[in-house]
Amino acid sequence: MAIDEPISRRDFLRHGAVLSGAALAAGASGLSWLKPPDADAAIMGIGKELRDVLNLETVNQILIEALKRGGDFADLFAEQRFRTMIVLDDQKIDSVTYGYPRGAGVRVFFRKQTGYAFSDEIAYNDLLDAAHVASAVVLNQGIVAPVDVRARVLTPPFSVMNPVALMNENTKFDIIRRMDAAARSVSPKIVSVRIEYQDEARDTLIGTSDGGYAIDRQYLVSIGCSVTAVNGPDRRTGRSFLGGRVGEDYFLRRDPEAVAKDAAQQAMTLLGADPAPAGSMPVVIAPGWGGVLIHESFGHALEGDSIRRGTSLLSGLMGQKIGSPHLRVIDDALWPNGRGSYTVDDEGTPGQRTVLVDGGYLQSFILDRQSAFLLNQKSTGNGRRMSYRQWPLPRMTNTYIDRGTDDPASLLSGITKGFYAADLGGGSVDTTSGNFNFAVQLGYLIENGQRTKPVRGAVLIGNSLETMQRIEGIGSDLQVDQTRGMCGKDGQMVPVGVGQPTVRFASITVGGTAI
Amino acid sequence: MPTSRPDEVLNNVRSMAERSGAAEAETYFEFVRFVEVRYREGEVELLQQSAITGLGLRVLRDRKMGFLYTTNLNRTVLDELVVRTIALASQATPRDENRLPDQQFPPQTNLEIEDPYADRITPQDLIVLAKALEDNALLVNKVKTTQTARAGYVVGETHFSNTFIPYQTFRNTQFWLYCSAVATDGTQKRVGSFTDRKRNFQDLTTPDRVGRKAGERAVARLGAKPVPSARVPVIFEAEAAGGFLGGLFGAFSGLNVLEQRSFLAGKRGSVIASPLLTIVDDAILRRGLGSRPFDGEGSQTRRNVVVDRGVLTRYLHTAATARRDGVNPTGSAWRGYDSLPAVGASNFYVDNGSSKLSSMIEQVPNGLLVTGTAGFGFDLAAGDYSQQVEGNWIEKGKLGRPVEGITVAGKISDMLTGVDAVGRDLDFRSQFCSPSIRFKELTVGGA
Repeated sequence: MAIDEPISRRDFLRHGAVLSGAALAAGASGLSWLKPPDADAAIMGIGKELRDVLNLETVNQILIEALKRGGDFADLFAEQRFRTMIVLDDQKIDSVTYGYPRGAGVRVFFRKQTGYAFSDEIAYNDLLDAAHVASAVVLNQGIVAPVDVRARVLTPPFSVMNPVALMNENTKFDIIRRMDAAARSVSPKIVSVRIEYQDEARDTLIGTSDGGYAIDRQYLVSIGCSVTAVNGPDRRTGRSFLGGRVGEDYFLRRDPEAVAKDAAQQAMTLLGADPAPAGSMPVVIAPGWGGVLIHESFGHALEGDSIRRGTSLLSGLMGQKIGSPHLRVIDDALWPNGRGSYTVDDEGTPGQRTVLVDGGYLQSFILDRQSAFLLNQKSTGNGRRMSYRQWPLPRMTNTYIDRGTDDPASLLSGITKGFYAADLGGGSVDTTSGNFNFAVQLGYLIENGQRTKPVRGAVLIGNSLETMQRIEGIGSDLQVDQTRGMCGKDGQMVPVGVGQPTVRFASITVGGTAI
Repeated sequence: MPTSRPDEVLNNVRSMAERSGAAEAETYFEFVRFVEVRYREGEVELLQQSAITGLGLRVLRDRKMGFLYTTNLNRTVLDELVVRTIALASQATPRDENRLPDQQFPPQTNLEIEDPYADRITPQDLIVLAKALEDNALLVNKVKTTQTARAGYVVGETHFSNTFIPYQTFRNTQFWLYCSAVATDGTQKRVGSFTDRKRNFQDLTTPDRVGRKAGERAVARLGAKPVPSARVPVIFEAEAAGGFLGGLFGAFSGLNVLEQRSFLAGKRGSVIASPLLTIVDDAILRRGLGSRPFDGEGSQTRRNVVVDRGVLTRYLHTAATARRDGVNPTGSAWRGYDSLPAVGASNFYVDNGSSKLSSMIEQVPNGLLVTGTAGFGFDLAAGDYSQQVEGNWIEKGKLGRPVEGITVAGKISDMLTGVDAVGRDLDFRSQFCSPSIRFKELTVGGA
């Protein structure tokens, strides 16, 4: 389980091998893939709507087929995405990509067992086949009749006016070119700027055997800027990010050129940076993307699948004290414009705000329908999937340490020798032992209560329960980063937000080279 | 209803693109069948039988590049997408190297990357294998449960053509066994996992052994503790060394080198590592997990030696980066239907040395054996390495107590030149493999 910044193209290829491990498809044999489809798509002006094929009547029929051999629950999930990707490298718009993945899947679960089948065609007969295949997980339990689905009126947690994804393409090119020029203007030592722009419009349609029927559309944009500066034999890369579920007005608040300059400035700062220290010491982590820490340390361990299997270090600790008394952790699917935000999750449960930890006490797990069913609780609206080719898993949305009362500036005082993590990279965790790590992109030494010299990246590691007891102060400066989080679990990548105010820890192990 | 053959589909899509104004067009079509059983605590948790199809189309016009991918092969949708993609591509910047490979080579043969058993194995067979994985893990003392036990296989079909290279295709298979066991001593819970992957089913390690290895690894982690920070010799056991090599791979990418994002830029022909190190990327290794008859854009695949006894001999390239760099292509383009070709690893490995792991350990008075790494740790532009690891402490040449909660770090160029022993335990279970490697001195960050 890991969180990372948007995956580079190479990583995407590597992940590709994992994510083809999708699900169970009907009609898998032979070359039946070139059938004239009964339905076309309706997104960005192409084809028709999902609901033209998947109306209340056909969805009911498919769910009846899915539960024909019994089962605790069944759902149908249809999706189409229109993606645009633009890469600038070497001062040139290197490539432009349109992607149009589209399909639907049917799931049945019976206790701990899951049957899933999908089709790259959204056609009634193909989905009836899929339902039949998915139902095979249940043997001789007798027929269960699903509740007739009814269209549900959804209240989105926020609205996006003039989504960036729908902007004129020339405007997108213009932003990318301006970012490139801005980054290069910072210093003649800047030798390379790469900008990866990605947006998508995603339509989903969900029907559930307890009577739910929901249609939703979500927009997302991510822009990553990576800048390399060279000085003699030294070569350093700085990075910055823009994005979220945002409209054009976002660029009035976050100036793309200023953000590109941040990456260039970071590369320049790193050029003069010393090696990071090694060993256990007091650590202060900057607000915002520093929330990778809570995502890895507690977030994954609270997810319902490892909880119900009993393999998480937090299994059975509901109501127990698991962190410092200052610690309050929230997972919020309703955070305005958040990467991890949604109206309904990918199994038809409305998104919600859940307090996971309060005053250091464990208050709630992160649950999808199946883990909730097995734990005899209610879903917290955290059932998410990477695409129609996968079944849902309990996943985080926007997860953060809530604001505290400390003045952020005061959090350094009293530290004779410590480490300040100004910008982080990705992280990962073993949810059974609780051992986690996350990479620091840019750090500073703390000497006698002051932030002093910049130091190069290093990994920070710790154990969840020990580290979260060692919180000494939480600032009042909460920020939730919505520009870059991609969370990977079981081969499924989903966008997430992470956040925290400035947080001080009595000790964390820093993996530098200077002893 | 009519069903078209893949070569006809590719032909149709390509001519559609060429009619709409593409000077050069490339079609890449994938059909992948994937079956896996996940077994836990005596029952099947999940049976996956998936089949995915997808089409990628690359178009070039005035040396500008556009790309589209779709799972929807409906003609009108495709038509609309093709026209839009060509229009979008007109906004790109022309690049001289934007040309599709135009030389046809005979695809490499005798790779043995397809095992016909994939057409006969049944889900029931997989259930038996997965159950054996879990049963054997549970036979290990102190192993109380598993996270998962998985047995599966994948069959892939790749179909390719471009304006210059006529239709070509290949099939490949992969089988795997994976087990992740949980051991407990009453206070601690620790996970150990083991996996094997092979092109041919009969080459797989037995499920009994995979399950037992997973269980033994979990038990070996019990009682692990940090050690104080130190600078000591560090041995990466073969599997961990393979992971290290995987992290290093991007530094050999031609694009990263050209764009100054690799610490190996400007080092071609120089000594970058100990003479004990030879690193190869072999796309034609018999039964290799990363072997294929041609690469992601139709170029001929080959065996590329990237480091020859310590000397950096070449970088790895796509057709475009090879042209930019003024060198011959290396056949290293990897892709899926939904991504543009980019440099990727085939079978990327450190060649066997001559040392036995046991003697490598005996020669260390005080140091660390790394058996596992976790998370991120490479800054390839700067050439810095820092990662979370676990393993065993070595005292007076003997393997001692288990350690965790520590990091190892170093400057990668110093690490590579400081390799003072290479094992002979290379075992191809992944696309990134290495025998055990000993680094003369790394920084261990601990308590």
